[in-house]
Parts: sequence; structure tokens; C-alpha cells
Amino acid sequence: MIAVIMLLLLAAASSAQDWIRTGTGLGVERVRLAASDFKPSTPDANNVNLLKTFNDTLWNDLDNAGIFDLVSKSFYPLQVPGQPSEVNFSAWNSPPPNTSMLAFGNLGAAAGKVTVQGWLYDVKNEKSPQVLGKQYTDNATTDAVRVIAHRFADEIIFRLGGGVPGIAESKIYFVSERTGHKEIWMMDYDGANQQQITHLGSISLSPRISPDGSRLAFSSIDKGGWEIMMYSFDLNRMVSFPRFGGMNLSPSWSPEGKIAFSSSRNSYPNIFVVDASGGNLKRLTTGQGPDVSPTWNRKTGSQIAFVSGRTGLPQIYTMEADGTNLQRVTDQGYAVSPNWSPNGQFLTFSWERKYGPGEPGSNDLYLMDIASKQWVQLTHDAGRNDFPCWSPDGRHIVFQSHRSGSDQIWTMLADGTNVKQLTFKGGNTQPNWSWK
Amino acid sequence: MAAIVNFDIYSEHSQLRRPLAWSLGLHLTFATFVVLYAVFIPGFGRNSWGTGGTGDAMGATLVSAVPLPANPTETTNVLATESKGLAKSEPTVQEKEPEAIPIPDKNTKTKLKPAPIKSATQRKPQPEPSESNQIPYGEGGPVSGPYTMTAGGAKGGFGFTGSGGDFGSQFGWYVQAVQRKVTENWLKYEVDPRIAEAKRVYVTFDIARDGHPSNVEIEQSSGVPSLDQSAVRALRRIDTFGPLPPDYSGSKVSVEFWFDYKR
Repeated sequence: MIAVIMLLLLAAASSAQDWIRTGTGLGVERVRLAASDFKPSTPDANNVNLLKTFNDTLWNDLDNAGIFDLVSKSFYPLQVPGQPSEVNFSAWNSPPPNTSMLAFGNLGAAAGKVTVQGWLYDVKNEKSPQVLGKQYTDNATTDAVRVIAHRFADEIIFRLGGGVPGIAESKIYFVSERTGHKEIWMMDYDGANQQQITHLGSISLSPRISPDGSRLAFSSIDKGGWEIMMYSFDLNRMVSFPRFGGMNLSPSWSPEGKIAFSSSRNSYPNIFVVDASGGNLKRLTTGQGPDVSPTWNRKTGSQIAFVSGRTGLPQIYTMEADGTNLQRVTDQGYAVSPNWSPNGQFLTFSWERKYGPGEPGSNDLYLMDIASKQWVQLTHDAGRNDFPCWSPDGRHIVFQSHRSGSDQIWTMLADGTNVKQLTFKGGNTQPNWSWK
Repeated sequence: MAAIVNFDIYSEHSQLRRPLAWSLGLHLTFATFVVLYAVFIPGFGRNSWGTGGTGDAMGATLVSAVPLPANPTETTNVLATESKGLAKSEPTVQEKEPEAIPIPDKNTKTKLKPAPIKSATQRKPQPEPSESNQIPYGEGGPVSGPYTMTAGGAKGGFGFTGSGGDFGSQFGWYVQAVQRKVTENWLKYEVDPRIAEAKRVYVTFDIARDGHPSNVEIEQSSGVPSLDQSAVRALRRIDTFGPLPPDYSGSKVSVEFWFDYKR
């Protein structure tokens, strides 16, 4: 009796599923994607502007994603589709475009509102081509259209990128001195919409956004010295945070919302941890240090990497979140600004591998696999590069570079390619990418 | 004087005879003992080095990794060599050593050697050395992206033999995303470096509606434990493949994934 039931269960289980059989060595290539310009769907004079913003933003987002091989628009057929019925499969899935995916759609403004319809088609699969079909409605402004383009791009990246959410709506926080004081600023991930957050009129450094994006911790100098400050995006103002005395620098959020920072309240700069409210202060490192720039393992929250000068020149160390199992990961030179990747696998940091007089070292960004301690150099022959920070999807790194002659914020793919400058005005430093 | 010396030597001689006899006798006895011991005492002749003895059974547990200390020297970047790129190393140019010029000596007459006859046939045609597939250190292709860090080897056509439903033909893009993601998360350096080539490992797992992989199992081992481990770990490293296509009606998809390892 039991055997019969088991057999029935097994039969039910096996019939309810599909099998995929695949493997490695089948050519891991980027998805070949074509993104045709969206077409106007209403006779509105506003459409031209909105369409230009939309098409440019969508193209940039897909191009920046790092997982697509975007087919140049010059290869596209003359007749681009605006509706699913207008898709001519053979014109897209064979050379010259020879694309496997096609993003297309239409945009129409009417009476102050804009409606966008977007599709993603697998044009090599004529039987069931649709991967995605979306419709968005918002006010007919360029800002709203930009957001719609970001959302649609993120949907495409999410589907084709193996379930990793896109970063088109993420933000970057940074320090800018364009007002004459070093204040905290924020911008979209592509450098658009730059706006000032703090107006303290002193020096504010190392902004770090909380995992939920509601609070921003940074260090700032005032009458009492360097202290950790907190800005709330819910209240849009500074909120109080305890003062610890001594010099308090470089806060860092754990995924659970704890804050690690460097404090010299016990005479030497050591790493401390507090709750998000500022309570429950705990010291993690001892000795003369100086220990600064802690960063949490963003996946597990159980490890902290930091910079210590205990053996002379600053080096990167890792330890468990309770201060045990201290390990040095860099073996020479001058290594600072560690940042842990979202998947917990890699550390990126700024390293001058040969440091000292007569050593023509340059300050470059490196990436290290924590488990194997293997590293790879990301920037080459391009001025001083510092303060790398991972994007939430783990595919990009934002950093500060002096390659253009002044300190500016740049991004690149995490393999060092596709380098792009985001800021141009004044001096901009210490970028920090939001968690989502 | 000479007589005294002679006497001395003579007397020394007579004194040594007894101890010498003793010494010889004892040495012989000892040698005999050693021979007899070797012949008669059991266990002496058996070569038991390195065997575990006849005691209890020993259990050995396979560990996935040995926690090695940090490399004290500059780490060579193995990433640069994991992928064999298209670049071919230049053949080394054999440079001729300059002929030694004899320092002229005024006493010796220099003999004029007859100039060697140069002929076109002197050089024998060498067979073209066969092209090696090997790429020397640091001369491979571009470094593979760090978030892939794997560099899949050969490229081939994409195909999968589906059985059961038509998931593969309907949602090819999802299958490709799965394939890409697993390959990206497969860290080849976890495999024992002594292994140059191994049989295919087949791993099966399920993808739930939300894209989460589960029931990771080795269907067919490669026979190399570290390779099997690395394949399972690749899947353990993945949180999600992204939700299954909304048009798909099933609750989960089963995947059979193979890993081809070649150093």
C-alpha cells in the first residue's frame, strides 16, 4: 500500500516539471540586444522631447548594464516596430542586426500625461517571442520619462541578467567642494540629478547610505572635533547621533543596520561598532593601530575588512564581526579604502603596490578574491584612483580618480572596462553607492 | 738512540697483541650477532615503512579546502592565464653567440684558416614545429571579467536535449541566463591544480518559481572530488536565477547541468 502511494507521488512529481539540460563550455556570451527607438503613439508636440529623453536614457541604461552586447542602431532595419504586430522577425534575427533580443515600444503624451508601452522580444523564437510587456503612465515631464526608462531598463536587466535587479534607479552619494565647503551630495547612478544634501559649512567626509536607504551616516568636524553625523531622508534633516569623543571617522553600515567606525576615544584609533541608534558601543580592535576605514561583508554581515597601520604602512586586514580571526590580506605597499562586494566574494581597494622613494608606483584599484587571496588590477596608468565602492548588482564599481586633472567620480564595470566619468564640476570625492 | 727507538717500538708491539685479539674477537661476535638477529628475529626483514600497521581501521575525512595561510610573496596573477586567449606567444629568436676573437699573441703565429665554403645546401630544411596549444604565463588573452573569474573554455553550439515539457524551446532566454549564471559562479581554481582534465560532472537541481535553486545533487561524479565540490559550490553560491517566466505554468523546473573541466 505504502509503496503504491510512493509510486503515485513520484509519478506526480516527475510529471509536474520540465527539464533543462545544459552545461558549461557552450559559449558564455553577452546577450545580443537591440533597442530600437520608441515611436510616438499620439500626435502631441511634446512627444519629440520626451522620446529623446526616453530613448537616450534607455539606451544608456542598457549599455551600462554590462551584460549586453548592444547592437548598433546603424544596423537596424529602416522600419522599426512600435507595436508587437509590426515586428519583422527575419529582419532582426539575421545579419546585419543578428540580434537575439529586441526592445521596442511606443510613447504618447496626451493632456499632460504620458503613456509608455514597452516590449522585450526574443526574436530568434518566433513561436513565443514575448519575454516582457509593460505599460507605464505618468506626468508628461522629462523627469518622469527618465524614471520610466530606468524602470523598463531594470526590468529587462532583471529578466536577462539572471534575477539580479538592475541599478538604473540607484543613487550615488559623494563629497563635493563645489560650494567652497566639503558637503555631501547625491546623484543618480548615471551622474544626472546632482543635488546637495548637507549644508553644514564645515568639512563632511565619507558618506555611507544605510541598507534601507533612509539614513546617511558621515563624519564631519565641528566644535567638538570629528564626529559621526546622521542625516535622515525620511525627515530630510540632520538627526542626532551620540558623540563619542576623540576622532570618529569612516562609518560603515552592516546589512543588519549596525555601524562600524574608527574612533580614537581610547587614545588610539580603533574599530568600534554601535547600533543604528548609536547605543551598545563595542570595541573590536586593540593596540596602537591606527585602524580605520572598516567595511562589512555585505552579504553575510559577519566579517569586517579594515585598514591598519600597525606594521607601518597601511594594509588591509579582515576579521570576524566580533573582532576575532584577524588576518592580513595585503602583503606590501600602501593599501587603503577597502569595500566588500555585494556577493561577499570580493574586496576592492586602492593599492600602491610599490611605495616609497624611487618607486614609481601609481595608486590603482585592485580586486581580491577573499577566499583565495588572488587579486587582479582594475585600473592602469590613469592617475590616482581611490575610494572604490560596489554597485548593488555587483557588476559596477564607482571610484574617485584624478585622471582628468582633478578629483572626479567615475564608474566602471567590475572588470575594469567601460570607464565613464560622472562628475565634472569642482572637486568630487569619496563616492558611496546605495544598497538598492 | 736508535736502539732505544727500536726497543720502544718493539715493546709497543708486544703490548698491542692482546688487545688486538680481543678487539677482533668482539667485533666478530658482534657481526655474527647482527647476522643471526637479522635471520632469526621475525619482522626485521619486512619493509614496513609507511604502512599503517595492523591496528584499528583509520577513518579519513575529505575536507573541501585546506585553510592555507596568506601568500607571503607577491601573488602571481593566475587570472590572466585561466583563459586561453587568442594571442599566440612570439617564437623566441635564437641569437647567435658572437664568435670569440682570439687575443693576438706576439709569440704564436696565427694560422690563416681557409674560409669555409658557403653553399646553399649547407642548411638542412627543418620541419616546421607543430603549433602548441599552450600559452605561456602572462601571454594569454584578456583577463576574464572578475565577476565571472571563471573563463569557460571551449565555445560550442548551444543546444539542449529537452525531455518532458518544452521549457527550453519556449524560454530559451531563461535557459541561457541559467547557463551564464552558473558558469560565472564556477570558480575553477577550487579544483585540484594537479588535475589537467576530467570527466564531465553532471549536477541536477530544481529552480523554484521565485528562481531559487534547490536540491543540488551530483548525478554523475567526475571521479575528482574537488571538481565535484566546485560544481556544487557554484550552485550554492547562487541565490536566485530570477523568477521563472510568468507565462510558464509549472511550479518548478529541473535542470541537469554539466561541467566540463579542462585546465
